[in-house]
Amino acid sequence: MISVAQNFGKSLIDLFYLVGGVYLLFQKSLSETLKRPFYFKLIIDQIYHIGIRSTWLVLATAMSTGMVMTLQYGYGLEKFGGKLYIPKLVALSIVKEMGPVFTSLMLAARVGAGIASEIGSMKVTQQIDAIRALGTSPIKKIVIPRILATLICLPLLTVLADTVGILGGLLVGVTELQMDSAFYVQKVFDSLTIQDYAIGLGKTVVFALVISTVACYFGMKANSGTRGVGIATTQSVMTSSIIIVVSDFFLTKLFWLVTQWVS
Amino acid sequence: MGVIEVKNFHKSFGSKHIHRGVEFSVKQGECLGLIGGSGAGKSVILRSLIGLEKPDKGNIFIDDVDITYMNEDQLIDIRKKVAYVFQGGALFDSMSVYENLAYPLREHTRLSEVEISQKIYAILEEFGLEGNEKIYPSNLSGGMQKRLGLARAIIINPKFVLYDEPTAGLDPYNTRRIQDMILRLKSKGVTSILVTHDMPSAFAVCDRIAMLKNGHIAAQGTRSELDSSRGGIIHNFINGEEP
Repeated sequence: MISVAQNFGKSLIDLFYLVGGVYLLFQKSLSETLKRPFYFKLIIDQIYHIGIRSTWLVLATAMSTGMVMTLQYGYGLEKFGGKLYIPKLVALSIVKEMGPVFTSLMLAARVGAGIASEIGSMKVTQQIDAIRALGTSPIKKIVIPRILATLICLPLLTVLADTVGILGGLLVGVTELQMDSAFYVQKVFDSLTIQDYAIGLGKTVVFALVISTVACYFGMKANSGTRGVGIATTQSVMTSSIIIVVSDFFLTKLFWLVTQWVS
Repeated sequence: MGVIEVKNFHKSFGSKHIHRGVEFSVKQGECLGLIGGSGAGKSVILRSLIGLEKPDKGNIFIDDVDITYMNEDQLIDIRKKVAYVFQGGALFDSMSVYENLAYPLREHTRLSEVEISQKIYAILEEFGLEGNEKIYPSNLSGGMQKRLGLARAIIINPKFVLYDEPTAGLDPYNTRRIQDMILRLKSKGVTSILVTHDMPSAFAVCDRIAMLKNGHIAAQGTRSELDSSRGGIIHNFINGEEP
Protein backbone atom coordinates (compact mmCIF):
# COMPACT_ATOMS: atom_id res chain seq x y z
CA MET A 1 0.00 0.00 0.00
CA ILE A 2 2.82 2.37 0.95
CA SER A 3 4.74 1.63 -2.25
CA VAL A 4 1.58 2.27 -4.32
CA ALA A 5 1.19 5.62 -2.57
CA GLN A 6 4.91 6.36 -3.09
CA ASN A 7 4.67 5.54 -6.79
CA PHE A 8 1.57 7.69 -7.14
CA GLY A 9 3.32 10.53 -5.32
CA LYS A 10 6.39 10.21 -7.55
CA SER A 11 4.26 10.18 -10.69
CA LEU A 12 2.45 13.27 -9.48
CA ILE A 13 5.73 15.09 -8.82
CA ASP A 14 7.01 14.04 -12.28
CA LEU A 15 3.80 15.41 -13.78
CA PHE A 16 4.27 18.75 -12.03
CA TYR A 17 7.88 18.89 -13.28
CA LEU A 18 6.72 18.13 -16.81
CA VAL A 19 3.93 20.73 -16.81
CA GLY A 20 6.18 23.33 -15.18
CA GLY A 21 9.11 22.57 -17.50
CA VAL A 22 7.04 22.67 -20.68
CA TYR A 23 5.32 25.86 -19.54
CA LEU A 24 8.62 27.59 -18.75
CA LEU A 25 10.10 26.54 -22.10
CA PHE A 26 7.02 27.82 -23.91
CA GLN A 27 7.08 31.10 -21.99
CA LYS A 28 10.78 31.60 -22.72
CA SER A 29 10.23 30.82 -26.39
CA LEU A 30 7.33 33.25 -26.56
CA SER A 31 9.36 36.05 -25.00
CA GLU A 32 12.33 35.43 -27.33
CA THR A 33 10.28 35.07 -30.52
CA LEU A 34 9.92 38.81 -31.02
CA LYS A 35 13.48 39.68 -30.03
CA ARG A 36 16.30 40.07 -32.54
CA PRO A 37 18.03 38.32 -34.22
CA PHE A 38 15.47 36.44 -36.33
CA TYR A 39 16.48 33.21 -38.02
CA PHE A 40 14.09 32.93 -40.97
CA LYS A 41 16.29 30.43 -42.80
CA LEU A 42 16.12 28.04 -39.87
CA ILE A 43 12.31 28.27 -39.91
CA ILE A 44 12.25 27.51 -43.65
CA ASP A 45 14.55 24.50 -43.08
CA GLN A 46 12.24 23.21 -40.38
CA ILE A 47 9.16 23.74 -42.55
CA TYR A 48 10.81 21.43 -45.07
CA HIS A 49 11.70 18.79 -42.47
CA ILE A 50 8.49 18.98 -40.45
CA GLY A 51 5.94 19.79 -43.13
CA ILE A 52 7.02 18.75 -46.57
CA ARG A 53 8.72 15.53 -45.49
CA SER A 54 5.61 14.49 -43.54
CA THR A 55 3.27 14.92 -46.50
CA TRP A 56 3.23 11.33 -47.75
CA LEU A 57 2.66 9.91 -44.28
CA VAL A 58 -0.23 12.29 -43.68
CA LEU A 59 -1.73 11.66 -47.12
CA ALA A 60 -1.58 7.87 -46.72
CA THR A 61 -3.17 8.07 -43.27
CA ALA A 62 -5.91 10.46 -44.42
CA MET A 63 -6.73 8.44 -47.54
CA SER A 64 -6.96 5.22 -45.57
CA THR A 65 -9.07 6.84 -42.84
CA GLY A 66 -11.54 8.28 -45.34
CA MET A 67 -11.84 5.01 -47.22
CA VAL A 68 -12.26 2.83 -44.14
CA MET A 69 -14.78 5.18 -42.52
CA THR A 70 -16.90 5.28 -45.65
CA LEU A 71 -16.81 1.52 -45.95
CA GLN A 72 -17.78 0.99 -42.30
CA TYR A 73 -20.56 3.61 -42.40
CA GLY A 74 -21.72 2.11 -45.67
CA TYR A 75 -21.96 -1.45 -44.35
CA GLY A 76 -23.61 -0.24 -41.16
CA LEU A 77 -26.13 2.22 -42.59
CA GLU A 78 -27.05 0.23 -45.69
CA LYS A 79 -29.19 -2.09 -43.55
CA PHE A 80 -31.31 0.84 -42.40
CA GLY A 81 -31.43 2.68 -45.71
CA GLY A 82 -29.14 5.38 -44.36
CA LYS A 83 -26.61 5.42 -47.19
CA LEU A 84 -27.68 8.98 -48.03
CA TYR A 85 -26.05 10.22 -44.88
CA ILE A 86 -22.64 8.74 -45.55
CA PRO A 87 -21.09 11.80 -47.29
CA LYS A 88 -22.22 14.10 -44.49
CA LEU A 89 -21.04 11.76 -41.74
CA VAL A 90 -17.67 11.13 -43.35
CA ALA A 91 -17.03 14.78 -44.18
CA LEU A 92 -17.95 16.08 -40.74
CA SER A 93 -16.04 13.34 -38.91
CA ILE A 94 -12.94 13.97 -40.98
CA VAL A 95 -12.95 17.75 -40.86
CA LYS A 96 -13.86 18.13 -37.19
CA GLU A 97 -12.14 15.11 -35.65
CA MET A 98 -10.24 12.53 -37.68
CA GLY A 99 -8.29 14.94 -39.87
CA PRO A 100 -6.88 17.11 -37.05
CA VAL A 101 -6.37 14.27 -34.56
CA PHE A 102 -4.84 11.68 -36.90
CA THR A 103 -2.60 14.24 -38.60
CA SER A 104 -1.45 15.47 -35.19
CA LEU A 105 -0.80 11.94 -33.95
CA MET A 106 1.22 11.18 -37.09
CA LEU A 107 3.25 14.35 -36.56
CA ALA A 108 3.68 13.61 -32.86
CA ALA A 109 5.21 10.28 -33.85
CA ARG A 110 7.29 11.37 -36.81
CA VAL A 111 8.19 14.94 -36.01
CA GLY A 112 8.04 14.77 -32.21
CA ALA A 113 10.40 11.79 -32.19
CA GLY A 114 12.70 13.51 -34.69
CA ILE A 115 12.86 16.75 -32.72
CA ALA A 116 13.39 15.06 -29.34
CA SER A 117 16.11 12.73 -30.62
CA GLU A 118 17.91 15.45 -32.58
CA ILE A 119 17.93 17.93 -29.70
CA GLY A 120 18.70 15.11 -27.24
CA SER A 121 21.74 14.09 -29.30
CA MET A 122 22.88 17.71 -29.45
CA LYS A 123 22.48 17.95 -25.68
CA VAL A 124 24.53 14.85 -24.84
CA THR A 125 27.28 15.79 -27.30
CA GLN A 126 27.49 19.30 -25.76
CA GLN A 127 26.32 21.01 -28.96
CA ILE A 128 23.65 22.88 -27.00
CA ASP A 129 26.38 24.05 -24.60
CA ALA A 130 28.44 25.08 -27.64
CA ILE A 131 25.56 27.20 -28.95
CA ARG A 132 25.46 28.96 -25.58
CA ALA A 133 29.25 29.20 -25.29
CA LEU A 134 29.39 30.85 -28.73
CA GLY A 135 27.12 33.60 -27.45
CA THR A 136 23.88 32.46 -29.06
CA SER A 137 20.59 31.20 -27.68
CA PRO A 138 19.53 27.55 -28.07
CA ILE A 139 15.93 28.73 -27.66
CA LYS A 140 16.26 30.98 -30.70
CA LYS A 141 18.40 28.60 -32.73
CA ILE A 142 16.71 25.32 -31.89
CA VAL A 143 13.35 25.67 -30.17
CA ILE A 144 11.62 28.63 -31.82
CA PRO A 145 12.17 27.51 -35.45
CA ARG A 146 10.68 24.10 -34.61
CA ILE A 147 7.67 25.54 -32.79
CA LEU A 148 6.93 28.05 -35.55
CA ALA A 149 7.42 25.49 -38.32
CA THR A 150 5.07 23.02 -36.61
CA LEU A 151 2.53 25.82 -36.08
CA ILE A 152 2.64 26.64 -39.79
CA CYS A 153 2.73 23.07 -41.11
CA LEU A 154 0.22 21.19 -38.98
CA PRO A 155 -2.86 23.24 -39.98
CA LEU A 156 -1.80 23.12 -43.64
CA LEU A 157 -1.23 19.37 -43.51
CA THR A 158 -4.60 18.99 -41.83
CA VAL A 159 -6.35 20.86 -44.67
CA LEU A 160 -4.59 18.50 -47.07
CA ALA A 161 -5.56 15.49 -44.96
CA ASP A 162 -9.20 16.62 -44.81
CA THR A 163 -9.34 16.96 -48.58
CA VAL A 164 -7.65 13.63 -49.28
CA GLY A 165 -9.75 11.87 -46.63
CA ILE A 166 -12.97 13.11 -48.21
CA LEU A 167 -11.68 12.09 -51.66
CA GLY A 168 -10.87 8.62 -50.26
CA GLY A 169 -14.43 8.42 -48.99
CA LEU A 170 -15.74 9.48 -52.39
CA LEU A 171 -13.65 6.79 -54.08
CA VAL A 172 -15.04 4.03 -51.85
CA GLY A 173 -18.56 5.49 -51.98
CA VAL A 174 -18.56 5.32 -55.76
CA THR A 175 -16.74 2.02 -56.29
CA GLU A 176 -17.88 -0.06 -53.31
CA LEU A 177 -21.23 1.45 -52.30
CA GLN A 178 -22.39 2.38 -55.80
CA MET A 179 -23.12 6.00 -54.87
CA ASP A 180 -23.33 8.78 -57.41
CA SER A 181 -20.18 10.92 -57.35
CA ALA A 182 -22.01 14.19 -58.05
CA PHE A 183 -24.45 13.44 -55.24
CA TYR A 184 -21.57 12.61 -52.87
CA VAL A 185 -19.71 15.83 -53.66
CA GLN A 186 -22.87 17.92 -53.41
CA LYS A 187 -23.69 16.44 -50.00
CA VAL A 188 -20.18 17.12 -48.75
CA PHE A 189 -20.39 20.77 -49.78
CA ASP A 190 -23.86 21.12 -48.28
CA SER A 191 -22.76 19.63 -44.96
CA LEU A 192 -19.54 21.47 -44.28
CA THR A 193 -19.40 25.03 -43.02
CA ILE A 194 -16.46 27.37 -42.40
CA GLN A 195 -17.16 26.86 -38.71
CA ASP A 196 -16.44 23.12 -39.05
CA TYR A 197 -13.08 23.85 -40.65
CA ALA A 198 -12.32 26.48 -38.00
CA ILE A 199 -12.99 23.96 -35.22
CA GLY A 200 -10.67 21.39 -36.80
CA LEU A 201 -7.92 23.86 -37.54
CA GLY A 202 -8.26 25.53 -34.14
CA LYS A 203 -7.45 22.20 -32.56
CA THR A 204 -4.36 21.77 -34.72
CA VAL A 205 -2.92 25.06 -33.46
CA VAL A 206 -3.07 23.72 -29.90
CA PHE A 207 -1.76 20.31 -30.98
CA ALA A 208 1.13 21.91 -32.88
CA LEU A 209 2.21 23.80 -29.77
CA VAL A 210 1.94 20.60 -27.72
CA ILE A 211 3.94 18.43 -30.15
CA SER A 212 6.77 20.89 -30.71
CA THR A 213 7.14 22.24 -27.17
CA VAL A 214 6.95 18.81 -25.54
CA ALA A 215 9.50 17.38 -28.01
CA CYS A 216 11.90 20.30 -27.47
CA TYR A 217 11.46 20.01 -23.71
CA PHE A 218 12.34 16.30 -23.60
CA GLY A 219 15.22 16.81 -26.03
CA MET A 220 16.66 19.62 -23.91
CA LYS A 221 16.29 17.50 -20.78
CA ALA A 222 18.04 14.42 -22.23
CA ASN A 223 21.08 13.13 -20.40
CA SER A 224 22.95 9.86 -19.77
CA GLY A 225 24.21 9.41 -23.33
CA THR A 226 22.42 7.50 -26.09
CA ARG A 227 20.10 5.75 -23.64
CA GLY A 228 18.92 9.15 -22.43
CA VAL A 229 18.20 10.19 -26.03
CA GLY A 230 16.08 7.05 -26.54
CA ILE A 231 14.16 7.72 -23.32
CA ALA A 232 13.58 11.36 -24.29
CA THR A 233 12.26 10.31 -27.70
CA THR A 234 9.84 7.74 -26.27
CA GLN A 235 8.62 10.10 -23.56
CA SER A 236 8.08 12.87 -26.08
CA VAL A 237 5.91 10.75 -28.38
CA MET A 238 3.96 9.22 -25.48
CA THR A 239 3.32 12.54 -23.75
CA SER A 240 2.29 14.40 -26.91
CA SER A 241 -0.01 11.57 -28.00
CA ILE A 242 -1.73 11.38 -24.61
CA ILE A 243 -2.16 15.16 -24.44
CA ILE A 244 -3.59 15.23 -27.98
CA VAL A 245 -6.10 12.45 -27.31
CA VAL A 246 -7.17 13.77 -23.91
CA SER A 247 -7.26 17.45 -24.83
CA ASP A 248 -9.29 16.67 -27.96
CA PHE A 249 -12.35 16.07 -25.78
CA PHE A 250 -11.95 19.33 -23.91
CA LEU A 251 -11.19 21.29 -27.07
CA THR A 252 -14.28 19.85 -28.76
CA LYS A 253 -16.34 20.91 -25.76
CA LEU A 254 -14.69 24.34 -25.70
CA PHE A 255 -15.23 24.99 -29.41
CA TRP A 256 -18.81 23.79 -29.11
CA LEU A 257 -19.41 26.30 -26.31
CA VAL A 258 -17.75 29.04 -28.34
CA THR A 259 -19.91 28.31 -31.41
CA GLN A 260 -23.01 28.30 -29.21
CA TRP A 261 -21.98 31.64 -27.77
CA VAL A 262 -21.22 33.14 -31.18
CA SER A 263 -24.47 31.96 -32.77
CA MET B 1 44.53 41.78 -9.45
CA GLY B 2 43.83 39.19 -12.14
CA VAL B 3 41.64 39.53 -15.21
CA ILE B 4 39.94 36.29 -14.19
CA GLU B 5 39.09 36.00 -10.50
CA VAL B 6 37.29 33.15 -8.77
CA LYS B 7 36.33 33.87 -5.17
CA ASN B 8 34.94 31.49 -2.55
CA PHE B 9 33.42 29.21 -5.23
CA HIS B 10 31.02 26.60 -3.86
CA LYS B 11 29.12 24.04 -5.92
CA SER B 12 27.16 20.93 -5.05
CA PHE B 13 25.43 18.30 -7.15
CA GLY B 14 22.71 16.75 -5.04
CA SER B 15 24.27 15.82 -1.73
CA LYS B 16 27.78 15.84 -3.23
CA HIS B 17 29.65 18.98 -2.23
CA ILE B 18 32.27 19.32 -5.00
CA HIS B 19 33.71 22.78 -4.40
CA ARG B 20 34.19 24.26 -0.95
CA GLY B 21 35.57 27.72 -1.45
CA VAL B 22 37.81 27.59 -4.53
CA GLU B 23 39.85 30.76 -5.01
CA PHE B 24 42.30 31.65 -7.75
CA SER B 25 43.09 34.38 -10.20
CA VAL B 26 44.74 34.62 -13.62
CA LYS B 27 46.74 37.62 -14.76
CA GLN B 28 46.56 39.28 -18.17
CA GLY B 29 48.35 37.13 -20.78
CA GLU B 30 48.96 34.30 -18.33
CA CYS B 31 48.12 30.63 -18.88
CA LEU B 32 46.99 28.81 -15.74
CA GLY B 33 46.98 25.01 -15.69
CA LEU B 34 44.18 23.55 -13.58
CA ILE B 35 44.88 19.96 -12.59
CA GLY B 36 43.35 17.49 -10.19
CA GLY B 37 41.99 13.98 -9.95
CA SER B 38 39.00 12.78 -11.98
CA GLY B 39 35.78 14.16 -10.52
CA ALA B 40 37.58 16.98 -8.69
CA GLY B 41 35.35 19.50 -10.51
CA LYS B 42 37.85 21.16 -12.87
CA SER B 43 35.47 21.27 -15.82
CA VAL B 44 32.65 22.62 -13.64
CA ILE B 45 34.82 25.60 -12.72
CA LEU B 46 35.72 26.12 -16.36
CA ARG B 47 32.05 25.94 -17.42
CA SER B 48 31.15 28.42 -14.67
CA LEU B 49 33.60 30.93 -16.11
CA ILE B 50 31.30 31.45 -19.11
CA GLY B 51 28.06 30.93 -17.22
CA LEU B 52 27.29 27.41 -18.42
CA GLU B 53 27.02 26.51 -14.72
CA LYS B 54 26.14 28.73 -11.77
CA PRO B 55 27.96 28.49 -8.45
CA ASP B 56 25.89 27.90 -5.32
CA LYS B 57 27.96 30.52 -3.56
CA GLY B 58 30.90 32.76 -4.40
CA ASN B 59 31.75 35.10 -7.26
CA ILE B 60 33.42 35.02 -10.64
CA PHE B 61 34.94 38.14 -12.15
CA ILE B 62 35.95 38.48 -15.78
CA ASP B 63 37.73 41.75 -16.57
CA ASP B 64 36.49 43.15 -13.22
CA VAL B 65 32.86 42.34 -14.13
CA ASP B 66 30.96 40.03 -11.79
CA ILE B 67 29.36 37.47 -14.12
CA THR B 68 28.08 35.16 -11.38
CA TYR B 69 24.41 35.98 -11.56
CA MET B 70 24.17 37.29 -15.09
CA ASN B 71 21.32 35.97 -17.22
CA GLU B 72 21.78 34.44 -20.68
CA ASP B 73 21.27 37.77 -22.47
CA GLN B 74 23.84 39.53 -20.30
CA LEU B 75 26.30 36.67 -20.77
CA ILE B 76 26.37 37.09 -24.56
CA ASP B 77 28.92 39.92 -24.33
CA ILE B 78 31.06 37.87 -21.95
CA ARG B 79 30.91 34.84 -24.24
CA LYS B 80 32.13 36.94 -27.17
CA LYS B 81 35.39 37.59 -25.35
CA VAL B 82 35.74 34.28 -23.52
CA ALA B 83 36.14 31.27 -25.83
CA TYR B 84 35.54 27.74 -24.60
CA VAL B 85 37.27 24.78 -26.19
CA PHE B 86 35.21 21.68 -25.40
CA GLN B 87 36.87 18.37 -24.65
CA GLY B 88 34.98 16.54 -27.39
CA GLY B 89 34.96 19.53 -29.74
CA ALA B 90 31.14 19.96 -29.43
CA LEU B 91 31.13 20.58 -33.18
CA PHE B 92 27.78 21.02 -34.90
CA ASP B 93 27.41 17.68 -36.66
CA SER B 94 24.71 18.92 -39.03
CA MET B 95 27.07 21.58 -40.38
CA SER B 96 30.18 21.25 -42.53
CA VAL B 97 33.61 22.35 -41.31
CA TYR B 98 33.11 25.64 -43.18
CA GLU B 99 29.70 26.25 -41.60
CA ASN B 100 31.05 25.46 -38.13
CA LEU B 101 33.73 28.11 -38.58
CA ALA B 102 31.32 30.60 -40.12
CA TYR B 103 28.88 30.28 -37.20
CA PRO B 104 30.54 32.72 -34.74
CA LEU B 105 31.52 35.10 -37.54
CA ARG B 106 27.96 35.37 -38.84
CA GLU B 107 26.58 35.77 -35.33
CA HIS B 108 28.96 38.30 -33.90
CA THR B 109 30.60 40.23 -36.72
CA ARG B 110 29.38 42.38 -39.58
CA LEU B 111 31.75 40.78 -42.07
CA SER B 112 30.53 40.15 -45.60
CA GLU B 113 30.37 36.56 -46.88
CA VAL B 114 33.53 37.22 -48.91
CA GLU B 115 35.40 38.40 -45.82
CA ILE B 116 34.06 35.46 -43.80
CA SER B 117 35.25 33.10 -46.50
CA GLN B 118 38.74 34.67 -46.52
CA LYS B 119 38.96 34.42 -42.74
CA ILE B 120 37.84 30.77 -42.77
CA TYR B 121 40.34 29.71 -45.45
CA ALA B 122 43.11 31.51 -43.54
CA ILE B 123 42.33 29.75 -40.28
CA LEU B 124 41.90 26.39 -42.03
CA GLU B 125 45.43 26.77 -43.32
CA GLU B 126 46.76 27.94 -39.96
CA PHE B 127 45.27 24.88 -38.24
CA GLY B 128 46.27 22.40 -40.94
CA LEU B 129 42.69 21.74 -42.01
CA GLU B 130 42.82 23.06 -45.56
CA GLY B 131 40.81 21.06 -48.10
CA ASN B 132 38.35 19.84 -45.48
CA GLU B 133 35.90 22.73 -45.56
CA LYS B 134 33.08 20.72 -47.14
CA ILE B 135 33.51 17.72 -44.87
CA TYR B 136 31.23 17.07 -41.89
CA PRO B 137 32.85 16.82 -38.44
CA SER B 138 32.01 13.12 -38.03
CA ASN B 139 34.32 12.36 -40.97
CA LEU B 140 37.32 14.09 -39.38
CA SER B 141 39.90 12.35 -37.22
CA GLY B 142 39.98 13.03 -33.46
CA GLY B 143 42.96 15.38 -33.82
CA MET B 144 41.31 17.32 -36.62
CA GLN B 145 38.10 17.64 -34.61
CA LYS B 146 40.04 19.08 -31.68
CA ARG B 147 41.82 21.54 -33.95
CA LEU B 148 38.53 22.53 -35.57
CA GLY B 149 36.96 23.05 -32.13
CA LEU B 150 39.88 25.28 -31.19
CA ALA B 151 39.71 27.15 -34.51
CA ARG B 152 35.97 27.79 -34.10
CA ALA B 153 36.47 29.02 -30.55
CA ILE B 154 39.16 31.56 -31.43
CA ILE B 155 38.00 32.73 -34.86
CA ILE B 156 36.48 35.93 -33.47
CA ASN B 157 39.70 36.78 -31.59
CA PRO B 158 38.62 36.29 -27.97
CA LYS B 159 40.53 37.87 -25.11
CA PHE B 160 40.33 34.70 -23.00
CA VAL B 161 40.39 31.02 -23.92
CA LEU B 162 39.29 28.17 -21.65
CA TYR B 163 40.63 24.78 -22.71
CA ASP B 164 38.90 21.65 -21.40
CA GLU B 165 41.39 18.79 -21.90
CA PRO B 166 42.33 19.83 -25.44
CA THR B 167 44.93 17.08 -25.82
CA ALA B 168 42.98 14.19 -24.27
CA GLY B 169 43.13 11.09 -26.45
CA LEU B 170 45.50 12.56 -29.02
CA ASP B 171 48.69 11.02 -30.38
CA PRO B 172 52.01 12.81 -29.60
CA TYR B 173 52.09 14.57 -32.98
CA ASN B 174 48.59 16.04 -32.63
CA THR B 175 49.26 16.85 -28.97
CA ARG B 176 52.28 18.85 -30.08
CA ARG B 177 50.23 20.69 -32.70
CA ILE B 178 47.62 21.68 -30.11
CA GLN B 179 50.39 22.82 -27.74
CA ASP B 180 51.88 24.96 -30.52
CA MET B 181 48.51 26.54 -31.22
CA ILE B 182 47.98 27.36 -27.55
CA LEU B 183 51.46 28.89 -27.37
CA ARG B 184 50.80 30.91 -30.53
CA LEU B 185 47.63 32.35 -28.95
CA LYS B 186 49.51 33.02 -25.74
CA SER B 187 52.15 34.95 -27.63
CA LYS B 188 49.35 37.18 -28.94
CA GLY B 189 48.45 38.10 -25.35
CA VAL B 190 45.47 35.76 -24.89
CA THR B 191 44.78 34.87 -21.25
CA SER B 192 43.88 31.24 -20.75
CA ILE B 193 43.06 28.41 -18.37
CA LEU B 194 43.98 24.88 -19.32
CA VAL B 195 42.22 21.98 -17.62
CA THR B 196 44.23 18.85 -18.27
CA HIS B 197 45.61 15.54 -17.06
CA ASP B 198 48.35 15.75 -19.65
CA MET B 199 51.25 17.03 -17.56
CA PRO B 200 53.81 17.43 -20.40
CA SER B 201 51.32 19.73 -22.15
CA ALA B 202 50.62 21.63 -18.93
CA PHE B 203 54.35 22.16 -18.42
CA ALA B 204 54.82 23.12 -22.07
CA VAL B 205 52.22 25.88 -22.15
CA CYS B 206 51.29 26.95 -18.61
CA ASP B 207 52.95 29.73 -16.62
CA ARG B 208 51.46 28.50 -13.40
CA ILE B 209 49.73 25.30 -12.27
CA ALA B 210 47.01 25.02 -9.62
CA MET B 211 45.79 21.76 -8.18
CA LEU B 212 42.19 21.20 -7.19
CA LYS B 213 41.71 18.75 -4.33
CA ASN B 214 39.00 18.21 -1.73
CA GLY B 215 36.97 21.11 -3.09
CA HIS B 216 39.61 23.82 -3.02
CA ILE B 217 42.95 24.82 -4.56
CA ALA B 218 45.34 22.67 -2.55
CA ALA B 219 48.53 24.01 -4.12
CA GLN B 220 49.72 26.25 -6.92
CA GLY B 221 52.97 27.51 -8.31
CA THR B 222 55.22 28.01 -11.32
CA ARG B 223 57.10 25.16 -13.00
CA SER B 224 60.31 25.97 -11.11
CA GLU B 225 58.45 26.19 -7.79
CA LEU B 226 56.89 22.79 -8.43
CA ASP B 227 60.23 21.26 -9.39
CA SER B 228 61.74 22.41 -6.14
CA SER B 229 58.85 21.16 -4.01
CA ARG B 230 59.67 17.44 -3.90
CA GLY B 231 57.13 15.60 -1.77
CA GLY B 232 54.62 18.40 -2.37
CA ILE B 233 51.04 17.67 -3.34
CA ILE B 234 51.42 18.56 -7.06
CA HIS B 235 54.74 16.78 -7.32
CA ASN B 236 53.18 13.61 -5.94
CA PHE B 237 50.14 13.93 -8.22
CA ILE B 238 52.36 14.28 -11.28
CA ASN B 239 54.39 11.24 -10.31
CA GLY B 240 51.31 9.11 -9.74
CA GLU B 241 51.80 8.93 -6.01
CA GLU B 242 49.13 9.37 -3.35
CA PRO B 243 49.10 13.17 -2.98
